[in-house]
Amino acid sequence: MNALEAAARSILSRLLVLGIAVAALAACGGVTELTEERVASSGTAVRQAEQTVGNSESGALELQRAKDHLQQAHRAVEDNEDQEAQRQAHQATLMAELAVSKSQSGEARRAADELLASIETLRREAGLESGDRPPR
Amino acid sequence: MGSMIAKTAFRRLCSGMRGGALRFAAVGLLTAALAACSTMPETIEELETARALVPQVEASPRAGVAATYVSDARKSLDRANRLSEEGGDVDEVRYEAQIAALNAQIANEKILTAQARDQIEEAKTERQAVLIEAREREAQRRAQQAEQAEAKANEATERAGTLEQELEALRAKPSPRGMVLTLGEVLFDHDQAKLKPGAYRTMDRLARALRREPDQVVMIEGHTDSTGAEEYNQQLSQRRADAVRTALIERGVRADQIETVGKGEAFPVASNENAAGRRQNRRVEMIFAGAGSQVGHR
Repeated sequence: MNALEAAARSILSRLLVLGIAVAALAACGGVTELTEERVASSGTAVRQAEQTVGNSESGALELQRAKDHLQQAHRAVEDNEDQEAQRQAHQATLMAELAVSKSQSGEARRAADELLASIETLRREAGLESGDRPPR
Repeated sequence: MGSMIAKTAFRRLCSGMRGGALRFAAVGLLTAALAACSTMPETIEELETARALVPQVEASPRAGVAATYVSDARKSLDRANRLSEEGGDVDEVRYEAQIAALNAQIANEKILTAQARDQIEEAKTERQAVLIEAREREAQRRAQQAEQAEAKANEATERAGTLEQELEALRAKPSPRGMVLTLGEVLFDHDQAKLKPGAYRTMDRLARALRREPDQVVMIEGHTDSTGAEEYNQQLSQRRADAVRTALIERGVRADQIETVGKGEAFPVASNENAAGRRQNRRVEMIFAGAGSQVGHR
């Protein structure tokens, strides 16, 4: 009887130790190396987007969202939420890319519009010079 | 209520945007509005947005410039659809749909950029064409102005060109036989009967005046100094008078308006004893009698 109890206790305590060990391992191990790399590279993408977008209006909103996602990715890393960290990092990267491409398309649009306007002006001026002169 | 706000926002967007961007935003907005208004719990807003956006970029003729993003968007959308059909976790569906929509949006911006750049290239060509056209028009305008100026100048010359005025301008002298214009020796080469180019302008003016007054007759008399044989001098004076006649006829004066005579050395206007006098004697005189009157012979 005593021997049985002792055996049971021993097993229980071993199980307890194992459980604690597993829990401790999970807590201390954190996210995978791959996740950390992804979070780091999304941080790079956000910084690059910051430079490209600069003070321009187009892409500013997306840049802010990218920063928010990056922040959440970092928090997830701290909380050892591996999948959440990866997802937030992926979204941060894509948001940063969207910010960059929006800023670029806005610039191209502006350039095209300016050129078209200059052609219109040119046309108008040429028409005026040839047609609207008062007869002498 | 939500849809009304969405509609107003949609209209505002419509006025501010153009082309592909407009359609793109409109679809996104409408989808968002639909999803917001829907009471069906299984409708996932992000999935509806992605379902609207992805086919749009796939259908764009310029999708090639963002091929990777378009294909990533399609993969994520397919995954989201599959998860949704299988009744998978809503958060999973939402995440895949967001990734699909993000990729589609990036693709859309890249397509818009490519289109704007295409337009810039086209516009550059157009600008060249407009510049050339403008230059041509300017040239035309200048040519027209020059033409007008010339016409005006010609008119002025024509107006000033009555015979009387021309003779006055050419310093013709009045005489009992009419106005006498003396063409000096400098208008002929020595011993030659050919008019020098220096005489052309005078011929032009006289011819124009004579054309305008067809009744006017001119007597052209050639004279020489006393150097050389008399017979030769007579011939030279005749040939010089004829040369002037030819010049006038070449300029459109009727032949019957002109008479010529070679007077040789018989009518000096100065002494033949010295060089200065002889030079004065070598001359052609053009005598313009009053219109209709006879030109008297000396």
